[in-house]
Amino acid sequence: MGNAPGKLGDGTSGPGETGNYRTSSGRSMSASSAGTGNRIPPWNAEYNVRSRRGASLVGNILSTSGRSRADSVGGSQPSKRKSTKEREQAKETHAKQLVVKFDETVDGGFLAPYGCYGFEKLDYDADVVRSLIIDRKLAPFYTPLQDFDESWTKEELIKIVDGLPLHASFDENLEKYEDVAVGNLKKTNFDELIDKTLSKREQRRMRSKIFKARLYRKRIIWQEIENENFLEQKLESKKPNSTSKNNSFLASDDLKYSLYKNGAECPICFLYYPEPLNYSNCCLQPICTECFVQIKRAEPHFPHDEVDPTQPVTNDDEKDPNLLTSDPPNCAYCATPNFAVTYEAKADRRVGIGGMKPSTYKLPKEPSNNDIEPSAERRGSRTQNNADVVASDMIRPDWKAKLDKERARLARRSANATAIHVSNRLIDPDHPSRRGSNYDSSSNRDVQDLEEEMLARAIRLSIADEEVRNQKKSNSR
Amino acid sequence: MASLPKRIIKETERLVSDPVPGITAEPHEDNLRYFQVTIEGPQQSPYENGVFNLELFLPDDYPMEAPKVRFLTKIYHPNIDKLGRICLDVLKTNWSPALQIRTVLLSVQALLASPNPNDPLANDVAEDWIKDEEGAIKTAREWTEAYASKKDQKSTN
Repeated sequence: MGNAPGKLGDGTSGPGETGNYRTSSGRSMSASSAGTGNRIPPWNAEYNVRSRRGASLVGNILSTSGRSRADSVGGSQPSKRKSTKEREQAKETHAKQLVVKFDETVDGGFLAPYGCYGFEKLDYDADVVRSLIIDRKLAPFYTPLQDFDESWTKEELIKIVDGLPLHASFDENLEKYEDVAVGNLKKTNFDELIDKTLSKREQRRMRSKIFKARLYRKRIIWQEIENENFLEQKLESKKPNSTSKNNSFLASDDLKYSLYKNGAECPICFLYYPEPLNYSNCCLQPICTECFVQIKRAEPHFPHDEVDPTQPVTNDDEKDPNLLTSDPPNCAYCATPNFAVTYEAKADRRVGIGGMKPSTYKLPKEPSNNDIEPSAERRGSRTQNNADVVASDMIRPDWKAKLDKERARLARRSANATAIHVSNRLIDPDHPSRRGSNYDSSSNRDVQDLEEEMLARAIRLSIADEEVRNQKKSNSR
Repeated sequence: MASLPKRIIKETERLVSDPVPGITAEPHEDNLRYFQVTIEGPQQSPYENGVFNLELFLPDDYPMEAPKVRFLTKIYHPNIDKLGRICLDVLKTNWSPALQIRTVLLSVQALLASPNPNDPLANDVAEDWIKDEEGAIKTAREWTEAYASKKDQKSTN
């Protein structure tokens, strides 16, 4: 019967469980962020993996280099708010990091995803993910095979791998951008495309839409340039006396064979990837990096309680904004809270950034013992090294800022609603809330009740504001 | 239209090659994300001997987003409302991308076997269920016979 993972497959088990994990379990590692921001030049001779390891992720949390980012995400104060241009610039930088480059490889894979999921779904922190891949803490983004056939010979397999593109094909004419004029993509300024007769708000909306459409097109172009380079290098390398240095970025036939001969299907996208994949820390199930970066917290929401159907339901509007929660995602397979994975790179196949050149890789003469890795050993090493565990929250360090923003938004909205509501009741004697009530005797008490209610809301609001302020203070420290 | 993800193709193939007992799911010819589903009522439940029609749709973000599932056959159940919408954790907050069409449909079948009036979607049904469980079960049985009996299915489809 099916392959339902125990806890989740049972539709009746604990429907109201969310919200119980409203602890700060993930906070210690995720409240601070860790992006290096600096791109590592491939094959920098002086580039020393060991020293980098020391200064990598965990180090950054403690040191100051990660701070500027933390500041920039924490700010919801108007004075700190980024300008539209700055935000657009940040999005463009992010999009550039999502381009798969043939000369940025780690262990035969890449630093950017192949494209199984839509461009707009790639909202993870690219700096963090790139560092994790280079540090061999997360499997690289490998190019998947749609299917794998055991009976393929070495030659057949190499031929198939040779035919793989860097990136999945794009949907060139996305429906939502169909009627958006993008203008000249080479020009950075596109103000002239915006209809100035519209209201400020409409203009902003139009600008955002044009920007998105332009970025989508630009991104396709960037990737296509890389694809062409890749193809050229592949052709060049087939020539007998090739001298181009760039060829050294291409995988040797032995590497292609070693990677794809022993692969596995990711249980989420059903595509075939080289082993080792990432493994869930709790139940040791495989997951490819492309699927791993898709798994994230649900949007901030109110805890889902079991309700008594005989009692009236409280509207979300009337709930305390501070009750809004956001929990680290559960393991996709066994529902253990705070999903985390580990990755163990093959020591004898360390190629690309921080290793030997992919073109020089040769299969070990004896079949190495690493191929038949006993799982007991794997389990042991996994639990010992907490520093090597990659939790979902680490690749989206902005979750806290998002939650605070949503709480503040809700608090503002409910305060506004109360104010309108109250003034209606005070001013309009025919307001529905007054009609029907015997206000000869109770109108005085009504007003008193209202005043108390307003006071309570005002206090709640200022507490919420104070919390946000405190958090910001502690963030910037 | 973007091409169909490999996962959906493979899942569909595997549903055909290795079907789930008591459940069928067939993709629509024009839209391979839209499935016509039948689920047999579990034995020893008020839905026993019934065959229920459902529709299942895989949204663009599937499998990161849960499939949309709805009963087409009328059913008297505290977690299924008049429109056929289902209140089931794995279709909402407890969805996981490791779940599949087959596991979701098994969960729906399990929900028929164990109604949960404390987390209701159809408030009136849930109230009946809490106040007079025996009466509610009897009604569920009657509805099953009236709307989901096997021979009835054949004539309407």
